[in-house]
Amino acid sequence: MFKLPVIGKNLLLLVLSLFLAHAGLAQDMYLDPEADLVEQDCGLTFSGKVIDHDSREPLIGATVLITELQKAVITDEYGNYHFHHLCRGSYTVTTTYIGYEVISTSLRLTSSVVRNMTLHVDAKTFGAVEVVGGRMIKHTQETETLTGRELEETKGLSLGESLKKLTGVSSVQTGPTVSKPVIHGLFGNRVLILNNGVRHESQQWGNEHAPEIDPLNAQELKVVKGAAGVRYGSDAIGGIVMVNPKPLPDSAGVAGEVNLIGSTNTRMGTVAGMVEGRLRQVPLSWRLHTSLKKAGSAQAPDYNLNNTGFEEQNLAATVGYQQERFGAELYYSYFHSKLGFLSSAHIGNLTDLANAIGREQPEETGSFTYTIARPYQDVTHHLLKARGYYKTGDLGELQFTYGLQDNRRQEYDRHRNTGDTPQLDLDLQTHTSELVWEHEPIGNLSGTIGATTIWQNNTYAPNTRALLPFFKGLTVGAFLAEKWQKNRLQLEAGLRYDQKALDIQRWDGTRELLKPSYTFHNLSGSFGALYELGYHVTLSGQVGYASRAPHAYELFARGLHNSAATYEVGDPNLVSEAAVNTMATFTYHSNPRLNGELSLYHNTINNYIYLQIAPEYALGVQGAYLYAKYQQADARFWGADIMADYALTSRLTLINKTSLVYAINRETGNYLPFITPNRTDNTLRYSFDDNGSSSKLTSSYLALGGLYVARQSRSDAQSDPVLPAPDAYFLLHAEIGTSIQLGKQPVELGLVGNNLLNTTYRDYQNRLRYFSDEMGRMLLFRVKFLL
Amino acid sequence: MNQTYFLSRLFLFILSGVVLLSGCKKSSPAPTPEDEKEIITTVVLLLVPEGKGQNASATWKDPDGPDGQAPSIENLVLKANTTYRGTLTLLNESSPNTPVDITAEVRTEGHDHEVFYVVDGASLAITKTDLDRNNRPIGLETTMATTLPSAGSLRIVLKHQPGLKRGNSTIETGETDVDVVFPVLIQD
Repeated sequence: MFKLPVIGKNLLLLVLSLFLAHAGLAQDMYLDPEADLVEQDCGLTFSGKVIDHDSREPLIGATVLITELQKAVITDEYGNYHFHHLCRGSYTVTTTYIGYEVISTSLRLTSSVVRNMTLHVDAKTFGAVEVVGGRMIKHTQETETLTGRELEETKGLSLGESLKKLTGVSSVQTGPTVSKPVIHGLFGNRVLILNNGVRHESQQWGNEHAPEIDPLNAQELKVVKGAAGVRYGSDAIGGIVMVNPKPLPDSAGVAGEVNLIGSTNTRMGTVAGMVEGRLRQVPLSWRLHTSLKKAGSAQAPDYNLNNTGFEEQNLAATVGYQQERFGAELYYSYFHSKLGFLSSAHIGNLTDLANAIGREQPEETGSFTYTIARPYQDVTHHLLKARGYYKTGDLGELQFTYGLQDNRRQEYDRHRNTGDTPQLDLDLQTHTSELVWEHEPIGNLSGTIGATTIWQNNTYAPNTRALLPFFKGLTVGAFLAEKWQKNRLQLEAGLRYDQKALDIQRWDGTRELLKPSYTFHNLSGSFGALYELGYHVTLSGQVGYASRAPHAYELFARGLHNSAATYEVGDPNLVSEAAVNTMATFTYHSNPRLNGELSLYHNTINNYIYLQIAPEYALGVQGAYLYAKYQQADARFWGADIMADYALTSRLTLINKTSLVYAINRETGNYLPFITPNRTDNTLRYSFDDNGSSSKLTSSYLALGGLYVARQSRSDAQSDPVLPAPDAYFLLHAEIGTSIQLGKQPVELGLVGNNLLNTTYRDYQNRLRYFSDEMGRMLLFRVKFLL
Repeated sequence: MNQTYFLSRLFLFILSGVVLLSGCKKSSPAPTPEDEKEIITTVVLLLVPEGKGQNASATWKDPDGPDGQAPSIENLVLKANTTYRGTLTLLNESSPNTPVDITAEVRTEGHDHEVFYVVDGASLAITKTDLDRNNRPIGLETTMATTLPSAGSLRIVLKHQPGLKRGNSTIETGETDVDVVFPVLIQD
């Protein structure tokens, strides 16, 4: 039992009354203009010229459409257009011309108006630049999306590895198989992952716990950078990763695809299949997606990384019912993976650690095998999601989402006993619910109001390690996010309040059962602005505030992490950490040659919670361990993301992605441990001409690039007492892809090569850097059949 | 107005669902006391002299694991110029009422384990007397011979060496299961 009822109900009632008040208001406001229309003046004229933005030449034969009236005219030989006998009111005017980008502008007509429409040459007609994301920014907050070809190129990699393609995103690794996303230097509990719209809830506190999500089921991976707590929960201090599957089909019929992926190095094989359809008589759509992956041990350039194989099975099923006003969707996904842990990284005590660091290569290298032995992890994740929406013509859309998740994590240490019981066996159940009302625009204002709940229960199996105690948590939150847009200016503001109740049950050794309880109050807010400074330049900025309640692990961790010979201890007196995140983005877009984006950020985190290795040791029967304790300090993170592409010729493009991250402990001036080193990736991409020869190949391309990761120079004996940061490294990569028409069967082929020079290196943010080199050269092959 | 009414009813209905879903779960059972299997909390060294004399023993004990209370460590007091037969016993006493003897398990897996003894300062010579199935020493059974009166320490290290125990494996090979130090006093 927990104490939701009183506070929770009151809060919900409050939200409800807010909602009702707002709903009434919205209706009143909507009715107003209609009252105006009665006494309107209907003799107004709207006219002007349509011209080319660059040459200022008039465009002859362009179409100008007033959407609301379904009235269209075509410009005359001087580029002029005229509408007569218009009534007062607000209209949307859309201007189109072949080879130019469509523009839509809003028009508030109170008297006759002359307005010139300037059109821009459609960048796509140059055939040079593929503008990913189209006519770009929609939000004031920095957002980047991995989709289409770029997403295809990551097929076969884990979610964490795939996201590294994005600027400002890196990963925290534990060996070759475990990879967690890092956004602007922040990760774990500070990066929220939304899997198909539901907060992914698992044991995210562990650096060696990869997100239990199959990226092959995604159509796009989207990353929101910086504090983004308002919409999905105040703990999103670092940002949000959204894994979005393709929308269900909206036309009748059955379709499908099969992906086959293979690789060298780990000799990984993956089969993924998808079937989807929509019934003819009933507006019912469905989809089934499954994937099976199996990989053997990875190979560093000089030796085998013993026991680093993995296997993974996934299944996802969706059924959706859609009517004009009402719709519902049911989604279920299953994830299971078993992954081996580098055997020589599993160590007993400090002496073992010193021995391991002293060795040129791991003690046990063995030879390639698919067999997974102890130590390994076995993780299962179930997600059941039910979502419904109801559209009301004049109020907006009401959405309700419920998610049930069960995360079971079993870790098998390398013990004397070879029995089949795990040493760590955690089970986390989560119910999430979200009620959201997207209101119809009121004037230039559109937005979302909502309430969310998260209920969690964490347990561990008897006779296993109590690294994380039993806990129950209930988080109740309410938020409001509004957007105001007029002409070239867009303003966004949001506010959120979360109350988190946490009830812990833990044994003080074997003496007594302690039951501490906590209540945290967390506020989030954001304010952002976006201004289109001319057609090719957009400026945006955002200030966000987010505060994150400490996780039960940070409060009560108590136990051994064998991989680091570290005894980790929580601090029950931690308080919420609070971040003020400022970001400014300059975007130069839709140009024939040079396009790019520069984003600067500054993040002040008060009471930043981090794990610091202490100077003293913990003494046990196995000898001495490193002793690491959760601590709080005021921290500062700052840095920049640079993304630029330059079309050298109509087919050859140079793409640069650079991320810089800096962090400091503001109280002591010391460096913080485990911060992302600076990196830059430069790629040359050549796209072949589709229209040329009678070739059956289409969309063919070839790319060659290099990634340079600097040494983390902002580290010293205080931040990294065990081993200094490794050297900088450079990796060469290449991508080739094409589509072939085999009879009636379209087939997509791709080849990706990573670490082509088979470089020996170690990465600062890989926890196994003490023990082994990173993976050597790997070639990934993929074939996609559309059915 | 009708629609607002309908919506508010719908909203209430859904909200009650939210509250019910999150509120009606019955309290689940409490956690069991920590009782991790297969860990070693206690090391007992028992020395029986060949011929006449008193038995000697010393215990190194840390039932609540690292952190928590400090381990209790007894001195090993021996008689000079005596040869003892030594037996090492390993226990899991994390549940005080049900101690578990792990020694037999280690002996059975002797081909993957070895005990190492490191003497510092004291005049003590140690020979392992038990062998695994590959005729390599295990070290749970020993002969310990003292000479002159002296003081120092005895470090006992149990290594888990799965697939690594060979003719050339050493105290640095494999993963450490036990690494404890006893103060030693040898007197007339």
